[in-house]
Amino acid sequence: MNAQIRPWFAALAVTVIVGGGCKKKEPPPPAVDTTAMAPAPAPVQVTSLDIGKSIGSDMKVTTQTTEFGTRDTIYAAVATSGTGTGNLAARWTFQDGQVVDSSSRSIAPTGDAITEFHISKPSRWPAGSYSIEILLNGQSVQKKDFTVK
Amino acid sequence: MPDPNKPKADFSDVESGSSSTAPSAPTATRTYTVEKGDSLSKIAKHTLGDAKHWKRIFEANRGIISNPDLIYPGQVLTIPSE
Repeated sequence: MNAQIRPWFAALAVTVIVGGGCKKKEPPPPAVDTTAMAPAPAPVQVTSLDIGKSIGSDMKVTTQTTEFGTRDTIYAAVATSGTGTGNLAARWTFQDGQVVDSSSRSIAPTGDAITEFHISKPSRWPAGSYSIEILLNGQSVQKKDFTVK
Repeated sequence: MPDPNKPKADFSDVESGSSSTAPSAPTATRTYTVEKGDSLSKIAKHTLGDAKHWKRIFEANRGIISNPDLIYPGQVLTIPSE
């Protein structure tokens, strides 16, 4: 009985060994260079500017408007995308070109972000036309006009 | 065209602020060494771009300035980040 099984078992063992040997000779799959495929991170850029009388906890303007009262606090919400660092500046001017206020903030977002700037004037705003200009790293990127009545 | 004879609006009491959902970028501390003839307004205009920011420099240096009208050549002032 054993003598009859042995040749069959030996043939099967040889097949398995040879098969395994063939598999080892297959070329390895090409290495995938993930660093080459990863897109470069987009730099910070301004995507929108909204102005209004109030902002929410997410710093977005709750109700956009371009008409304000003399006692209002004026909010400007600047939406940005991208990652890295950037210096955002808000320059508020009156109709005669007089600078009402200018302030800036250096941000290091890791994705979409909102940065708000606001101004108020305890002694009331003079009625007239105003504008806000947003600069990113010193370059003007957005501008919006509004009036105080 | 604006009337040059019309008095300019007074924006000296404008209050401003900002905040962001993004973290603040780290900023290096700047210093300024006072020179003869300097005033906080002059330093503010030179370092922060606007003379009316002199109060920010004053507040950042309360430890060495007690009177904003009295600063001395050689004093090293901390300039707050813009």
